[in-house]
Amino acid sequence: MISSDVIRGYIDTMILYLLLNEPSYGYEISKRIRELTDEKYIIKETTLYSAFKRMEINGHIESFSGSETYGKPRTYYKITEAGKMYYKEKCKEWEITKEVIEKFIIREWM
Amino acid sequence: MNTIRNYLDNMFLGLPDTEEVIRAKKELLTMMEDKYNELKDSGKAENEAIGIVISEFGNLDELAETLGIKHAVENKSDILQVTYEEAENYIEDKVKTAPKTALGVLLLIMSPVLLLLLLGLKELTKVNAKEELFIAAGLAVLIAMVAMAVSYFIRFSSKMEKYNYLEETVFELDYKTEQMIRGIMAQDEHSYKSAVSISVAGYILSALPVILTPLIFDIDGFSVISVAVTLTIVAILTYNLISKSAVNEACTVLLQQGEYSVKNKSNKTLQTVTKVYWLVITAIYLAYSFITFNWAISWIIWPVAGVIFAAIQAIAEQRS
Repeated sequence: MISSDVIRGYIDTMILYLLLNEPSYGYEISKRIRELTDEKYIIKETTLYSAFKRMEINGHIESFSGSETYGKPRTYYKITEAGKMYYKEKCKEWEITKEVIEKFIIREWM
Repeated sequence: MNTIRNYLDNMFLGLPDTEEVIRAKKELLTMMEDKYNELKDSGKAENEAIGIVISEFGNLDELAETLGIKHAVENKSDILQVTYEEAENYIEDKVKTAPKTALGVLLLIMSPVLLLLLLGLKELTKVNAKEELFIAAGLAVLIAMVAMAVSYFIRFSSKMEKYNYLEETVFELDYKTEQMIRGIMAQDEHSYKSAVSISVAGYILSALPVILTPLIFDIDGFSVISVAVTLTIVAILTYNLISKSAVNEACTVLLQQGEYSVKNKSNKTLQTVTKVYWLVITAIYLAYSFITFNWAISWIIWPVAGVIFAAIQAIAEQRS
């Protein structure tokens, strides 16, 4: 079982990673998170939407409307330059976080 | 799909209609619909797809700050929220204690039976023993049974005490919990309704011994014994009714229907009147029975009091 406390600090990182190459929309992002994590992490709609809002305010992503197969307008999100910078910082931060926590983990007990 | 829309409407109920809130709702609905459509395409049944979408939706609290509706979300929860677990535990405990409560009521109703039988037998056989001896024996059993019943009630009412707020205060359920309770209630409906109809038919028939015996035998002893028979039938029927209606009763409380409707709960006078009323009736029953020793007649106060109570309730509901 995954702890949502730990993952909360990295939801933005996950979303930014998925937006690095191309813009995407709500459901597609949640689906890719589920697939990439082998269903170990399923993001709630409310969590995802509040992340979008937060990241828009912080200037890490921008939203625009586009249409999809069903023909109805859909909000797409794309990463900004500031978002890319932030993503790189978060990757470094994770490296250090990982190293720190690792010091306290007893491998044989897993 | 309508279920999902209703669910979302419910979650957003009472939130201000700001641009931000409307946009959030629209976006969330799109995400949920996308997920629903894909689940359906992958071969999931409608109900299953809806279940997954709703269970993965999350919690509006998370959105409160980003939408600037923190105040509104917090105010919304001013009304007591009853959780899924609380509701489940309540139903479970109610079902567990019902047979015990029913046994207590059975003991109470049956308590004068032995006394009546002894009085009747004495009349019939014209035994030469002192009447006081019969009365003493019958009374001893009566008091012992009442004492047992009361100790039962005290034990189980203190166990259920922690749920008193469910019966007395107004609360809210979330969508999932309400659906769960409605499901349980529907499943129980058949057994509940048949228990009620059996009991009602039985109650009407239970009057027969009392009515017919004096017509057939012109002996006082038989009339007294017939009351004992009637009381025994009533006791068994009541036991059955109380234990079979536990689930329905619990669901009625949780869904705040009937006696436990929001309207009735806000009517404090009715609550007080109910408590006082039954205490007064009990006092009258005990006082009259012990003073006149007319146990063969005094039980009539219960069916009469029940009907009068229904009338009082109807009047009080109309007034409010």
